[in-house]
Amino acid sequence: MTENISRRQEYDKPRSFMDRLGSWLNWRRFIFLIILFFFLGSILFPFYWMVSSSFKTQAEIGSRDPVYIPESLRLDAYKELFDSEDDNFQNFGRNILNSMLVAVPTSIIAVILATLGAYAIARLYFRGKNLLLNSILVIYLFPGVLLIIPLFSMVARIGDRIGFDVQDNLWILVITYLAQTLPVALYMLVNYFRTIPTEIEQAGLIDGCDHLGVIWRITLPLAIPALISVGIYTFMIAWNEFLYALIFLNSSDMYTMPIKISWIFNDPTPRPNVVMAASTIMTLPVIILFLGMERFLEEGLSAGGVKG
Amino acid sequence: MAIVTEKEKRRRWRWNSLRARETRLAWMLILPTAFIVFGLVVFPAIFSIWISFHDVGLDNLGDVFKAPFVGLENYAKVIDDFAFQPGPLPEDWAEANILGKIGLFFTKWSWGAAITSVVYSFLATITTVLVGLGAALLLNHPFRGRGIARATFLIPYVAPIVSVAFIWRWLLDPRPSGVVNNILMQLGVIDLPIAYLAERGLALLLVIVFTSWRYFPFAMLMILARLQAVDRTLYEAADVDGASIWQKFWFVTLPELRYVIGAIFLLRLMWTFNKFDDIFLLTGGGFGTKVLPVLTYEFSFRLRDFGKGSATAMILLLILVIFLALYIKIVMRNMEDE
Repeated sequence: MTENISRRQEYDKPRSFMDRLGSWLNWRRFIFLIILFFFLGSILFPFYWMVSSSFKTQAEIGSRDPVYIPESLRLDAYKELFDSEDDNFQNFGRNILNSMLVAVPTSIIAVILATLGAYAIARLYFRGKNLLLNSILVIYLFPGVLLIIPLFSMVARIGDRIGFDVQDNLWILVITYLAQTLPVALYMLVNYFRTIPTEIEQAGLIDGCDHLGVIWRITLPLAIPALISVGIYTFMIAWNEFLYALIFLNSSDMYTMPIKISWIFNDPTPRPNVVMAASTIMTLPVIILFLGMERFLEEGLSAGGVKG
Repeated sequence: MAIVTEKEKRRRWRWNSLRARETRLAWMLILPTAFIVFGLVVFPAIFSIWISFHDVGLDNLGDVFKAPFVGLENYAKVIDDFAFQPGPLPEDWAEANILGKIGLFFTKWSWGAAITSVVYSFLATITTVLVGLGAALLLNHPFRGRGIARATFLIPYVAPIVSVAFIWRWLLDPRPSGVVNNILMQLGVIDLPIAYLAERGLALLLVIVFTSWRYFPFAMLMILARLQAVDRTLYEAADVDGASIWQKFWFVTLPELRYVIGAIFLLRLMWTFNKFDDIFLLTGGGFGTKVLPVLTYEFSFRLRDFGKGSATAMILLLILVIFLALYIKIVMRNMEDE
């Protein structure tokens, strides 16, 4: 009895922050926190370094010790990218536009085509359906480098015949990105459509809608989260893609952002601040888009939305 | 009035039947996708086999079907290439003890692209899955800010490869002003700055670290989803039996995760094996990191020998098919079981 009372007194005693921390912290929590902060640090520091380096001057970049916090937000690097008065003007705005011109059509066309195809696979009966779906999935595992040689040669040949310029043609990129993204878009949408109860659609059919009407009026409105997620994934794949753009684009005015950044990186006078500024411009929209839409997107990630 | 035979009637009936119309609609809906995917993936893949048996360079690329047939010559050229073949054993190999041999194996011996590819893919996949497992176990604990931590963990996976690779190169800058060099020199671990990505062994190690840093979120998400589906009563039963944390992990958690880890391992193994950008952007394939995709690129677009490049890609595909067969045999069958 007395013991109990004394313990309560001890408990009620006003305690300092360190005391409370001390009693809260045990070994398991301590190790947990260390590991957690190790993860967070190793992920966030590189991105902090990217953004902070983009605001450094050439002098801060070239100093003997790394500058962890730039003196002030200097826009030298951004001026080189965008200001046509600058000596090393890179016309990066044009590259942003190119990336948009590739990524936006890719994502819109992929969503439309994949919706139609996924509806057919999830809802309609036809022979060879599973074979088709499985072979499209296996295709998703094909290496990009394997396809780039024949594609290059095919496209060059078709271009010769029809008489359009193959090099520096952004539409060629859109079409090749479609081939890369359609399999996974189809797969994600098929999975989603299968979760929508068929009864609703059957009711639509009975009430006199045809199949396209059902897709338009019933399936699509119900599938909006999946459509957003597929749209963002295909956008991101096209936005980030490196190899095909490297092969098919030749002049720096037609480069998409990844190729332009790598071009600036390989410049004989290294200017990491400019590289980091351009990287910041390319990376931040993707991360913000992803974090903002995370709820929609997480499921797609594990379905292989980003092929990595 | 035209005479309609019985057979014709039946044919028309079949053509107009609900099921037939449904099938036609289905094919119409799937056709654009199938056309693009098969035309731009399957046909090129087959065409690539054809190219690998012909002498195709930049001069006859536009007129590729007239390229001379050379049989297996391209394959022979690839296998004879010093970049593909393992180099001679390092000089002091015979005298070295087992630890010394391991050291020489990783730092001195040039493996050639095929072995480098396999070693890199396996090591990188193992570390990716392990880091993913660690992160998943970490996030399986409830704590304040878990949602934010989880979202943060996914960032490396969605950020563009080009920026991420260049950030790493800038952090690993060989000058004393490089961040890693600066930190290690301040801590007194090293005296002189190191060119991390330009040293055999170290470069491969860092490429592996980079790969697991970038791709662990995929493994983490899959494992986390499985972890949250584990039946809580199993842990309660283990508690009743007085199991320690390690015993619970070893005897309850791991067996539950077995299949998902196997699936992730094989999937990531294939993706890592195919991967071109990461190594190309980090090291350019130098210093013992030349993998088959990078070699394919170099043969085709630096040396302009597309036949040789295709032959390299075919060898890559052959190894990939082995992994794929394992994947289908092990993973897909297990999924049917569950």
